[in-house]
Amino acid sequence: MIKESLKKIYLFLIMVLLYAPILTLVVLSFNSSKSRSKWGHFTLDWYRALFQNQDIMNALYTTLIIALVSALIATLLGTAAALGIQGMRRRFRTLMMGITNIPMLNADIVTGISLMLLFIAFRFSLGFSTILLAHITFNIPYVILSVMPKLKQTNRSTYEAALDLGASPVYAFFKVVFPDIIPGVFSGFLLAFTMSLDDFVITHFTKGPGIDTLSTKIYSEVRKGIKPEMYALSTLLFLTVLVLLMLINMAPEKNAATSAKRISVSRGHKIRRFCLRKLTPAAIIIAIVIGGCYYGSKESGHSSNQVIVYNWGEYMDPDVLDMFEEETGIDVVYEEYETNEIMYPKVQSGAIAYDVVCPSDYMVQRMIESNLLAEIDFDNIPNLKNIGTTYMEQSRQFDPDNLYSVPYTWGTVGILYNKTMVDEPIDSWSVLWDEKYKDSILMQDSVRDAFGVTLKYLGYSLNSTDLDELEEAKNLLIEQKPLVQAYVVDQVRDKMIGNEAAIGVIYSGEAIYTQKENPNLEYVIPKEGSNVWIDSWVIPKNAKHKENAEAFINFLCRGDIAKMNFDYITYSTPNTAGRELIEDPDIRNSRIAFPDASELANCETFKFLGDENDALYNRLWREVKSK
Amino acid sequence: MKNKKLLAGPYLFWAVSFIIIPLLMIVYYGMTDSKGHFTWSNLAQITTPENLKALGLSILLSLVSTLFCLLLAYPLAMILSELSMNQTSFIVLIFILPMWMNFLLRTMAWQNLLEKNGVINIVLSFFHLPELTIINTPYAIVLGMVYNFLPFMVLPIYNVLVKIDKDVISAAADLGANYWQTFFYITLPLTVPGIISGITMVFVPSLTTFVISDLLGGSKILLIGNVIEQEFKQGSNWNVGSGLSLILMIFIIASMALINKYDKDGEGTAF
Repeated sequence: MIKESLKKIYLFLIMVLLYAPILTLVVLSFNSSKSRSKWGHFTLDWYRALFQNQDIMNALYTTLIIALVSALIATLLGTAAALGIQGMRRRFRTLMMGITNIPMLNADIVTGISLMLLFIAFRFSLGFSTILLAHITFNIPYVILSVMPKLKQTNRSTYEAALDLGASPVYAFFKVVFPDIIPGVFSGFLLAFTMSLDDFVITHFTKGPGIDTLSTKIYSEVRKGIKPEMYALSTLLFLTVLVLLMLINMAPEKNAATSAKRISVSRGHKIRRFCLRKLTPAAIIIAIVIGGCYYGSKESGHSSNQVIVYNWGEYMDPDVLDMFEEETGIDVVYEEYETNEIMYPKVQSGAIAYDVVCPSDYMVQRMIESNLLAEIDFDNIPNLKNIGTTYMEQSRQFDPDNLYSVPYTWGTVGILYNKTMVDEPIDSWSVLWDEKYKDSILMQDSVRDAFGVTLKYLGYSLNSTDLDELEEAKNLLIEQKPLVQAYVVDQVRDKMIGNEAAIGVIYSGEAIYTQKENPNLEYVIPKEGSNVWIDSWVIPKNAKHKENAEAFINFLCRGDIAKMNFDYITYSTPNTAGRELIEDPDIRNSRIAFPDASELANCETFKFLGDENDALYNRLWREVKSK
Repeated sequence: MKNKKLLAGPYLFWAVSFIIIPLLMIVYYGMTDSKGHFTWSNLAQITTPENLKALGLSILLSLVSTLFCLLLAYPLAMILSELSMNQTSFIVLIFILPMWMNFLLRTMAWQNLLEKNGVINIVLSFFHLPELTIINTPYAIVLGMVYNFLPFMVLPIYNVLVKIDKDVISAAADLGANYWQTFFYITLPLTVPGIISGITMVFVPSLTTFVISDLLGGSKILLIGNVIEQEFKQGSNWNVGSGLSLILMIFIIASMALINKYDKDGEGTAF
């Protein structure tokens, strides 16, 4: 008895481990606060919002259709392959199984990258079909590895006996072999489906513009915090599967005992079992597919009159895109990236011809130097007059003749601190090296920002390429490491709102939002100076719709549109007409959003330092991180 | 029997197009510099102290998580295999079910649980117990790995266990073996193939992960997966990234070949 209850306790503990995070997500889906680390009150709003969110629903259907189609094709190919491999001589069999094991053994990242390299080399345009191909590729091994053991258990003599008795090979296969391996085929399919559903890395590398699966959607949302609709969707998905499983398993099982007494099994019983085990799941799957096709058909109404936009994650009010489409009749294909460094190779490789991209200052410079950008025809952008001249002047640091770029947002990097958790007013980077705040410091997890802060603290330029200065900065960063709670990019926001840390290095645009959520937070540009950055719109050379791109940029330069975007993303706008429209005088004159010249006196803009210096920075940063 | 082999044809074509050729492209990138000249320097990158340390730490953490997975999964698989037939498929699916919640979301949820002001610490402080401060440490990464990859250890072991002929166990008992003797001399050796594929399926993704170490390690701990990811994403250096991937791949395949020597069938028994 004790043994039995021990077993139960053990099972229970494992269940807790497996389901605790899921429970957390379910709870978060009912949380009225947008922040992950703050509980508001109970709400069902996110479920309502979910069904109105076309983006998430599209991503859901793309995910499901890719999972379903790739699992089906993989099951077909994989089962056939397993049969074929079974019939091979040992040496070939080992070779084939070796090849099959490669995608299983390889790191996802290697598989994803290798497929991306292939697609780019053979000029496949990245999109739905490339994701599908990639998913089929990594799904097949799961099917083969599920079917093979079952196939080995089958008795070859029965198959041969069937042939001897006059069955055709196909007939014999379906009557004799197939029933034996069907559990393997089924579990292979299920596994393939699940793997496809859960994959992020491979999809990330093989997807094209305007298409997202849930994983890539979530990943691009990490920058600004996960939208709570996602939690709601996950909860619904989870519950659907749970119900499906219950249905399938609640139906009486056809086990040995019942098949022996098969005659006594009533007809009604059989029908009920059929309904529960086969019909309901099939109906749900059909509903999913039809729904997917319906959504798909709505989406495929793209005309050739379009503009392909490649922007930072969560960096534009979605309503702006709708308004643009309505007013100009140009379709917007919208894709997001997380860092300049992810964007750059994608544009450089030319695999996707983006029409308009929004890189930061130093990346604009790099793209100009790599000859990737087209000169903008400013006659098509009359609204440029709304952009403050100071910002055009600042842009000259990376775009010397103002030929290639139109400023979109700008800001500074500074310290966000929790007034209740620090003792003294903060005005210097030195606080990041203060032992008092051990484990309460959040540092930026990007090479240039981390080094920029440190170089400024040391009194050097944040574009330093002097090896001694950089070594000094590196040593200081290593010294700081034990004090740092975490290196983060996007989560500074949530962690600061949730009182997880006292001090964080953050972009000014995020500071306004965090203050709204947690009034104890204060932002400061340290006196040693900092980074002032500009994100600008540029048009790549290989853009296919240059005039549409210019129309798009012109639209964004309109005062009312700039104001809408400012309200949504809270990053400072260089658009003076837009700034005038901000209703709240506190924000219009906010020193965080619009610091005056004196505060910016010591600030610098990042420059592209060349490939060699980039490599140097990366090497030094890795030395810091691996200490 | 001859035409049966042809069934593998489409797969062979597929495998060459989408497995072999892409791998060759990695090899090409790994062995050339940015101008397309042949070089060993990308491969040699692994010998820098930072990369060696990252690789060493990755190996250590993934070994530890594999061990934990095995220790947790084996009794679990035994308990599951003893359940009546009626419930097993359900129970097994219970372990696949969490995968239907997105991997990134699940791992982020652990942040919520483990944080300083997280759920677990709120519960602990309610009972006046000491705080749990493992977030942003290697312990949290190991926890994340064990959590994410445990099903991959349970399922293969379970599959092998249910196939063991009960008569063999009874025979051992009849011949006077006690519970533990039966376990060590009969059950354990018979489940070796399952253990091996379990080890493979936990060790490899743990070794190469970058998401778990990012989310639960606070990016303070650099694993080899992070190094490669950064080469591709932050450094935009595909050549070095490919070179390191190549090393990692060779390392994995070599260690798996070593392990697979014990798998007498020489073929996967994962599912």
